[in-house]
Amino acid sequence: MGAKLLRRIHFPAVTAYLLVGIIIGPRIFNLIPSRLMAASDFVTNFVLGIIAFALGANFKLKDLKAAGKPVIWISVLEAACAWVVVTVVMVVYHILQKIPIHPAFVLGAAAAATAPAATVMVVREYRASGPVTDMLLRVVAIDDAWCLIFSALAITTASALRVGVFSSTVLIHAVAEVCLALILGGSLAVGLYVITRFIASTDEVLIIAVGFIMLAVGLAVRFKLSPLLTNIAFGLVVANIVRESELFFKALRRVDMVLFLGFFVLVGANLEIGILPQVGVMGALYIIFRVVGKFIGVRIGAHISGAGANISRNLAWGLVPQAGVALGVALSAKTLYPKYGELIFTTITATTVIYELVGPLCAKYGLKKAGEI
Amino acid sequence: MNSLLSAGLILLLGFVGARILKLVRLPSVTAFLVVGILIGPQLLNLVTEEIFTASEFFSNLVLGLIAFSLGENFRLDNLRQGMKQVMWISLSAALLAWVLVSSALVVYFITIDMPIYPAIVLGAAASATAPAATVLVIREYRASGILTELLLKVVAIDDAWCLIFAAMAIAVGNAMRADVFQMSIVFAGLGEIFGALLLGGVLGYLSSKLSRFVRTSEELLVYALGLLFLDVGLSIALEVSVLLSAMMMGLVLVNMRRENYKFFEVLRSVDTPLYLVFFIISGAHLDFSILYKMGIAGILYVAFRMVGKVYGARIGAKISNAPKSVKNWLGLSLTPQAGVALGIGLVAKVTFPDLGNYIFTIIAATSVIFELAGPLLTKYSLVRAGEISPSE
Repeated sequence: MGAKLLRRIHFPAVTAYLLVGIIIGPRIFNLIPSRLMAASDFVTNFVLGIIAFALGANFKLKDLKAAGKPVIWISVLEAACAWVVVTVVMVVYHILQKIPIHPAFVLGAAAAATAPAATVMVVREYRASGPVTDMLLRVVAIDDAWCLIFSALAITTASALRVGVFSSTVLIHAVAEVCLALILGGSLAVGLYVITRFIASTDEVLIIAVGFIMLAVGLAVRFKLSPLLTNIAFGLVVANIVRESELFFKALRRVDMVLFLGFFVLVGANLEIGILPQVGVMGALYIIFRVVGKFIGVRIGAHISGAGANISRNLAWGLVPQAGVALGVALSAKTLYPKYGELIFTTITATTVIYELVGPLCAKYGLKKAGEI
Repeated sequence: MNSLLSAGLILLLGFVGARILKLVRLPSVTAFLVVGILIGPQLLNLVTEEIFTASEFFSNLVLGLIAFSLGENFRLDNLRQGMKQVMWISLSAALLAWVLVSSALVVYFITIDMPIYPAIVLGAAASATAPAATVLVIREYRASGILTELLLKVVAIDDAWCLIFAAMAIAVGNAMRADVFQMSIVFAGLGEIFGALLLGGVLGYLSSKLSRFVRTSEELLVYALGLLFLDVGLSIALEVSVLLSAMMMGLVLVNMRRENYKFFEVLRSVDTPLYLVFFIISGAHLDFSILYKMGIAGILYVAFRMVGKVYGARIGAKISNAPKSVKNWLGLSLTPQAGVALGIGLVAKVTFPDLGNYIFTIIAATSVIFELAGPLLTKYSLVRAGEISPSE
């Protein structure tokens, strides 16, 4: 209903779902019983798993040979630029405010993350297709890996600045986390490959697909790995080794709209809009310079790798959404730094609220400008 | 163990279990229940607390889904001739099960010097059937024919009889226990039925009217599931029968517009994982230790419920001139018993502080038996009636 209404004014459905979530959420109408809210962890993790799995399918080795270089360059550079720009600005701001500068590094690293879910939804809703769309889907899939590594680097640096010791364990942990997630995803794909032979009907395809994704997310959570990366790796390997892989992706596409809707409404209900007034100057700087960083990074990356002007100009719009991954970085900062962790966390949560609402609009705008909607 | 891991294992083990038991020609429903028993709290304990808590929500949804899809079978244009048979058979199968179980237990309770009112309530519970298991067996083996068609209709409406009987039985039981006959209980039972039909009818009507805003099949799925949640939620809130209101909604939808068959189609394309999880969780809930407690009363219940169903259906078929395959095999295919009977058990538990628990135990224990044996018997009768192809 909400989606229908807002479509009249050309809003993407994601934004509508989020707004509906906010309205029926605990702060306003309180239509969601606490039991449903308690289940939201389960639903969001599962849906993120599905999204990541589908993203992995965009990396088929045979079409990647051609497009591989730009993907790597653009994703590294847009993530790195956002990090660097936000960090530099924050350092300056913190010096002016005479507070320690270490939170600046962590904030910058969080700025590197994007939100695959929102981007994918917009692409799907408007049936966008073309080189920019393809590139965008691949970039959002892998920049979370960069973000994890950057945030580990940032946390190491920040800790070093704070207490004056540089410990490389955090960094090693982060690299190990990425690698283990990839290995886990890969091994599950092999498992799926084996079991595919026993599938007789399309109903069973759905059961297996859903079961494996839940297993992947569950195992990732259990071993404290990134569920997103695990499922991207899972989807990637499946797309490349299972001949009937299209069946799985198709079966999931049949049901995922419902799940996405539930997901975004729940995310909306969980958004802490009460936190918005606390954004302050720092949040404003973060919001502006993160986007600036993304744009510069995409430009440079596209230039180096020789991607077309269309990509160079419009891709960055699709990278504006920010959600779970950034919050994850903020959460780990919160537990690490008792004093300024809270500040980091508030800033990231508040900016996430804004990005979640504005991001889908930006993504739509960018794709439209690229002529792919 | 987190809940996602647990849910993933449930799905995959369900698949594997169904594959293995298929080798010995057992229906998937049985396989799911067995897997559920294996991973349940008594053995491997792979089901997390969180999933158990969510299972009430979940099973209401699945029952609503089943009942909704049963509503599709009642198309008014081809219903005229069959309806007489459905009514006679469902009524006499339910009634005879009630009468026989009650009489047998009354005799037994008198000989052991117990109050006899539990016998009346237990008999009413015996009239219930389990649509979910029946539908799944039919779907798995792609059964089709006169018996299948009648069976789908009978399991859809005999819950209405069962609710009426249960309301009467509880009122009578209360009267025998406390010497006051409360008409209000009977009325409450009737209200539960008519309220459900009204609610389902209204929702079905509205949703058919509003369905012109739905464009893609993805949106239709969202819409259909949303409706179902709404219907089940409202039924629970208004304390009317979830099964009947969902069935009524399906019935109204299928008769209002021809294109409404898409509602059922789109749900069918996604519902198998839900059924799988539903039956695995049901299996995990099965409490075997309760079997020891059911005693002679439980054995009598099982035996006379079977006799009642088989001969009740036979009598009903004879009166309404149903074909021979129906007369011979329909009763046996009604063997499954699950949620509806347990619901009556729960009401009894609340209404009768002294023997309510005893009633509940017997219903729960016999449900364990009927849940496991029921799908097999349903399959067997469909095979014997020639409505499942021999290759299956």
